[in-house]
Amino acid sequence: MSAEVEETLKRIQTHKGVIGTIVVNAEGNTTLITSTKVDYAGLLHQLTMKARSTVRDLDPQNDLTFLRIRSKKHEIMVAPDKEYLLIVIQNPSE
Amino acid sequence: MFTDETLDALGVESLWRKSQQFAQESRGCQTRPVHTAEAEIQPLLNADNGTQTDPQDHHIYQLPPKGELQPESPGLRDFLHRVEDMVVKELASNAKSHAFDGFDVNWEDQNETVSCIHCLQYPSAQEKGLQVTSISWSCTGSVIACAFGRVDDGDWSTEKSCVCTWNLDRRGLNPKRPDMVIDVARPVMSLSFHPSQPSLIAGGLYSGEVVVWDTNRTQDLILAQTGMSTDTHREPVYQVAWVPGPRRGEMVVLSAGSGGRVLLWTVDSDEGRLVLSAGFALIRQQVPHNSALSKNRGSSNVGVTSLALSPWDLDTFLVGSESGLVLKCSFSAQTLAAAPPDGESVTLRAPAQFSFSPRGGPVHSLHCSPFHRNLFVSVGTDGLAHLHSLLQPDPLLSLRVSDSYVFGVRWSPTRPLLFAAATGQGLVQIFDLGRKSLRPAATLDQLTGGQPVYCLEFNPRRKDLLAVGNSDGSVNIWHLSTELTEQGPRETAKLEQLANEVAE
Repeated sequence: MSAEVEETLKRIQTHKGVIGTIVVNAEGNTTLITSTKVDYAGLLHQLTMKARSTVRDLDPQNDLTFLRIRSKKHEIMVAPDKEYLLIVIQNPSE
Repeated sequence: MFTDETLDALGVESLWRKSQQFAQESRGCQTRPVHTAEAEIQPLLNADNGTQTDPQDHHIYQLPPKGELQPESPGLRDFLHRVEDMVVKELASNAKSHAFDGFDVNWEDQNETVSCIHCLQYPSAQEKGLQVTSISWSCTGSVIACAFGRVDDGDWSTEKSCVCTWNLDRRGLNPKRPDMVIDVARPVMSLSFHPSQPSLIAGGLYSGEVVVWDTNRTQDLILAQTGMSTDTHREPVYQVAWVPGPRRGEMVVLSAGSGGRVLLWTVDSDEGRLVLSAGFALIRQQVPHNSALSKNRGSSNVGVTSLALSPWDLDTFLVGSESGLVLKCSFSAQTLAAAPPDGESVTLRAPAQFSFSPRGGPVHSLHCSPFHRNLFVSVGTDGLAHLHSLLQPDPLLSLRVSDSYVFGVRWSPTRPLLFAAATGQGLVQIFDLGRKSLRPAATLDQLTGGQPVYCLEFNPRRKDLLAVGNSDGSVNIWHLSTELTEQGPRETAKLEQLANEVAE
């Protein structure tokens, strides 16, 4: 893992309230993971694909740019891409 | 003058009785001979064929092996470059945002009130004046078992008692008639359902015996018992629990009694016996930091009145004693107990590792918090509930629960800051540590006319049910309000804060 990748992730991780970050590749396998449960990867990958197809079904010219799920305990943010997904879990009220 | 004489037997024939058998006919039948014929066949052509399923296209989400440097996937760097700014912007604005402050979603029906939905009684036990000494929910959360016995009797009791079970999910539940009544020859002091098999119940008796019942059986319900051997307790068994055994998937029964012994029994269902597999003896001289109590001339055994298992650390358990000691013990302690060997089949070890500040009377109940690994609460006859951290001897917080004795305490399984305590005045006080005031958040009056409440248990599956056992022989099932069962947004953080406070 190159230093640049590590640095970028570190910048994200040390942000206020972040409790975990995961990078998932296009098949749904985790490429990188930091301090949180693995279950997120598979479940969120499926959900992101579903969200993307919903957006495109509603308007074929449109596409998914960002997905946020807010729950009682924290917020999950997913940045999608052709090959990867970046998942960040943040506890906003800290 | 007198001689022996034998007389012939005299017979009288019947005049009217005749042989009933005057007419007899025999008949027989047989089928006609069955026609049989033989024929043979043989295939002329042979063909072989086979099938096999394809390996499934599983999406196995794997963790990369730890510690190895992953060869960098192509494009990863560029991807992160692209998304980093956007993600950081969102994180920053999220941290500052007030958009969701006070926003709550109602997924389930809100229940505003606390109500008593069932009052379970067993009339024949109530007539004998038996009290509910212990209750336990099954692992499925639908069956509640109650043990009847006596807590206030000081004498050696040979009174017959029973264990009753009710299935609350069954239609036609009759609160006055238990679904099953197990008669026991001695008062039952403690009860515990098996954590994964819903038909097994372990019970500790006043005589020191430990019994395991299997409610699936129709005949003799006793699956295994200790009997009265040299291994058993000689004093009442106040706590039984199921703990994981040495083999995977096996559970052994732990029993603790006022004789100062904590014993582990394996269930041998073929022989119907509980076999002692390990034992611990609590001797006063072996309790750490115990200068104040060693002046007492009484028995050197530390009588156990309550026990708590830690859900975080399978090796630790907490013991509360008759004299007010609260001890942290370990299952893997190796020091031998200083008790004279009494014919037991297993060498007893001394488990105590740490002693918390002693209380003013017997410690009736202990419970470890399911949300924080270091916290536990203890109650006793001094009417106070002490919140302790495992890391220091003095309590973090002392709450006055009642003016009389407190017999039971349990943490809520859903709200980290909530616990409920059962008092000797017939009330269950529910405390919310998140509130500023030290007064209870709710008080449940058991309507027993001020008679003590001995035990209480939260339902492990249905988070809004609380069962409370009273000394008048009835068990009340309470339905708690949403406020008492729904976890608030910052409770775990507040609990963490409490745990980290150092007592002055």
